[in-house]
Amino acid sequence: MRRLQSLFNWFFSLFHKNTLDSGLSDELRFHLDRQIEQNLASGMSPDEARRAALRDFGGIPKFTEASRDARRTNFLENLLQDVRFGARMLRKNPGFTFFAVAVLAIGIAANSAIFSIADAVLLRPLPYRDANRLVIVWEDASAYGFPNDTPAPGNFADWRARNRVFTDMAATSFGGSYALTGQGNPEKLTGRAVTANLFSVLGVSPALGRDFRPKDDVPGAAHVAILSHGLWLRRFGGDPQIVGKEIRLDDQKTTIIAVMPRGFQFPDRQIELWTPARFSNEDLANHGSHYLHVVARLKPGVSLATANADLSVIAKQLETQYPDDNAKLGAFAVPLRDQFAGDVRPALLMLVGAVCFVLLIACANVANLLLSRAAGRRRELAMRLTLGATRLRILQQMLTESLLLALLAGALGLLLSIFATQFLAALIPNSFAPITGANLDPRILLFTLAVSLATGILFGIIPAFRLSRLHLAPSLQQSAGRGAVGSGGSRLRNALVICEVALAIVLLAGAALLIRSLANLYHLDPGFQSDHVLVVRTPLSYPRYQPFARRVSFYDQVLSKVETLPGVLAAGYTTWVPLTNPGGATSITIEGRPEPAPGEHLIPNIRMISANYPAALRMKLIAGRFFDRTDGSHTQFVALINQTMAKNYWPGENPLGKRFKRGNYKDDRPWFTIVGIVGDVHQAALDLPARPEMYLLYMQFETGFDPEYLALHTSVDPMSLAEAVRQQVWSVDSEQPVSGAMPLSDMVDDNLASRRMQASLLTGFAAIALLLVTLGIYAVLSFAVAQRTQEIGVRVALGAQPAQVLRMIFSQGLKLFLIGAAIGLVAAFLLTRAISHLLFHVSPYDPASFAAITTLLVAVALLACYLPARRATQVDPLIALRYD
Amino acid sequence: MTKPTDLVQGTLDLLILKTIALQPLHGWAIAQRIRQVSNHVLQVNQGALYPALHRLEQQAWIKSEWGESENNRRAKYYSLTRAGKKYLQSEESNWHRLSSAIGLVLKNV
Repeated sequence: MRRLQSLFNWFFSLFHKNTLDSGLSDELRFHLDRQIEQNLASGMSPDEARRAALRDFGGIPKFTEASRDARRTNFLENLLQDVRFGARMLRKNPGFTFFAVAVLAIGIAANSAIFSIADAVLLRPLPYRDANRLVIVWEDASAYGFPNDTPAPGNFADWRARNRVFTDMAATSFGGSYALTGQGNPEKLTGRAVTANLFSVLGVSPALGRDFRPKDDVPGAAHVAILSHGLWLRRFGGDPQIVGKEIRLDDQKTTIIAVMPRGFQFPDRQIELWTPARFSNEDLANHGSHYLHVVARLKPGVSLATANADLSVIAKQLETQYPDDNAKLGAFAVPLRDQFAGDVRPALLMLVGAVCFVLLIACANVANLLLSRAAGRRRELAMRLTLGATRLRILQQMLTESLLLALLAGALGLLLSIFATQFLAALIPNSFAPITGANLDPRILLFTLAVSLATGILFGIIPAFRLSRLHLAPSLQQSAGRGAVGSGGSRLRNALVICEVALAIVLLAGAALLIRSLANLYHLDPGFQSDHVLVVRTPLSYPRYQPFARRVSFYDQVLSKVETLPGVLAAGYTTWVPLTNPGGATSITIEGRPEPAPGEHLIPNIRMISANYPAALRMKLIAGRFFDRTDGSHTQFVALINQTMAKNYWPGENPLGKRFKRGNYKDDRPWFTIVGIVGDVHQAALDLPARPEMYLLYMQFETGFDPEYLALHTSVDPMSLAEAVRQQVWSVDSEQPVSGAMPLSDMVDDNLASRRMQASLLTGFAAIALLLVTLGIYAVLSFAVAQRTQEIGVRVALGAQPAQVLRMIFSQGLKLFLIGAAIGLVAAFLLTRAISHLLFHVSPYDPASFAAITTLLVAVALLACYLPARRATQVDPLIALRYD
Repeated sequence: MTKPTDLVQGTLDLLILKTIALQPLHGWAIAQRIRQVSNHVLQVNQGALYPALHRLEQQAWIKSEWGESENNRRAKYYSLTRAGKKYLQSEESNWHRLSSAIGLVLKNV
């Protein structure tokens, strides 16, 4: 009760300051009067009485103050006063305020955004139970050029049966789009066929309905499907009765048995549908076709190393058991998160490092500003100390000012970081499964705010400490900041500028290297030309197109129709256009060679194409000829091979006219004659070397590699012909889904997209850093000029030429810059090694890049020094010497 | 800021509380009463008295009221709150214990 009253009193005092103060003086005056009365009564004269009373009282101001202190509201009142004063100071120097706040805010925003994304991609838990126990299992087919190969079902089955380290293993098959018909607009859904135990391995149960059962996963079982949460909302309106409904998927009646929870994705964001894989016993014994993705859960207590050891043992067993299929085939596991984040991790880490640099530069800049400003206020502070302010009070006030600044910057930074995070999150590649959205993480924002606050406080206080040890007299006598400033202050400021320059150089070096890598990639010859090429997908669905002849007829008709379209210069079909499949390979046997030992098989990429496909993509012909009209279904089987295949399989010989067959030595298969050698096409990615590759004519015989992609070389904008092409396809088969109409150049751009993002971001950071450094040097030099005005005036009066004054200031600035540059270049040499795997055909010590950025920085430094130097030459000695 | 006084701060509080226990008094009267009753030994400085009074009031041991003084002038009268009365009792007994303990030591050491 008493405490409550006490608290109430405190509040009351806070808001009734004036009333209480006047009450206090009334009370004291009353006391004084009574004392005077008493003195008079004891016989003193009125004068004496008064004097005695006053003397007794002591210094009235002193204990008015003490009484007020007793109210305990001092701290808050002082704080409010400081805040008001600080706000006024900031308002009076709008340039300084704006600059300092903006700089800090940018640093805060950039850091929060990048850290949030890095956290989401690299650290945040995946939406599976105990996700750090999940691994992806690959085949190691490096002997054939596939270090991470998709496992064959036979291998999957054997690993599953024989391993001792996994609680279970599940698999998803490769590729899969399902035609949804009979329910409004037909649509192609992206889905995967999975083994029934997939979701239990991942540890996630459906939100509605039931999981797959082993009964669903056998050939001939009734068709069932599980929907993703997003698909359920988007296509089925979130129907609560969805479980048990039937839909038509790829022309089959399919029952929906479940909906997965919100936020669940596997293997990536685009998969909306899962159906049972329904492997037959033959499928599960097939060790030759490699197309699965296998995920497994480690047993409790089993480490990754143990699991990999076990897998290696099993792989060896399989090698002996199936010498043809499994020779030189290993197996290994990779943690799930690494698999998802692996590509982006180095880039993200680089960006995290870069953005830290930017923040450091920003803090150094603001620190410099605060120090400079404080140095200019020495006189004011000295005066305050003389008038009786305690050092603590002054410290408190300067602290408040810095805090105000930091808080303003924090508020602005918070706003900016929301935008920055959204902007950057949109740049994360889609293939990133579990990223349900990188949101601005409040912890990260708080951390960055704390850093800025710390900077603001630290560099607000340091000058205050130094100043509070001022010798008052000299400081007061000193003309308002125009005399020679003690070296102590400027040493710290100079050090800060040197640091800024060094950091900026490291950033610039990284940016320059990335830009060169990107340029190299753009200039790389990918083996085809992607401008003015339209790509369209027409995957034929079985059972309609089961007969080979029907498929051939479809392609023939579509090709003849689209080739007549105005604007189409050439059209061709292929199994996969470049950049859509890094593999797609099959084994061959070369005529006249002995049977290859197990593990020595030749496995080139295979593409079934139409005659004009190379023309549509403007591939290069190295030797021999392309396919032409003379090649048909009843003529000799012909093949084109690429340069790498020619070099690797027929070293030193001319492959033209030689023959090979598909399959193994003992297979009774037709022979193909090589009629042409074409330039290498980068199938996997622009920055990966080409594999051996062969091209066969689609109409000559049947394979499992039917063409799906139609590529058209157009004379006009490719997309303008998309609709016409679709119409032509539908005129051949009105129910054939046509999808993915896209210019090939877009696909190429996408492939380079993440590199472009890295390069642009780093360049952006480097540009910001450069700007900050320029302003930093400019500010320091301007201040130095202002400080040395008297000195300059003296020199000019003694006969110094403008050029000499210019040189004096320039040398001061350039000295700082050169020291910083030297440190920065050394640091850059050491650090660029860290991003060497982000580079492409550029050495981390590339002299051209380093030379370029040094030149840039010199130019920038000269610019930064120029204005203050010019101002120095304009100092009028008369004014400088007289003004005080 | 605390100023050095002739009396330890805690004891000044005790004296003030005791003085106004019987009837509300204003600041000047409190100082007078203490001086008188202690035979002019304890002279309470105004510089100590008023801060002490305001502190005690802020902490709600005592409460104040503006009233009319003997010569019809406005003065602030202080009186004990209920919590203050209890506080006085406990402080008084503490003081007695302390002083008799000190006395014992001084006599018998």
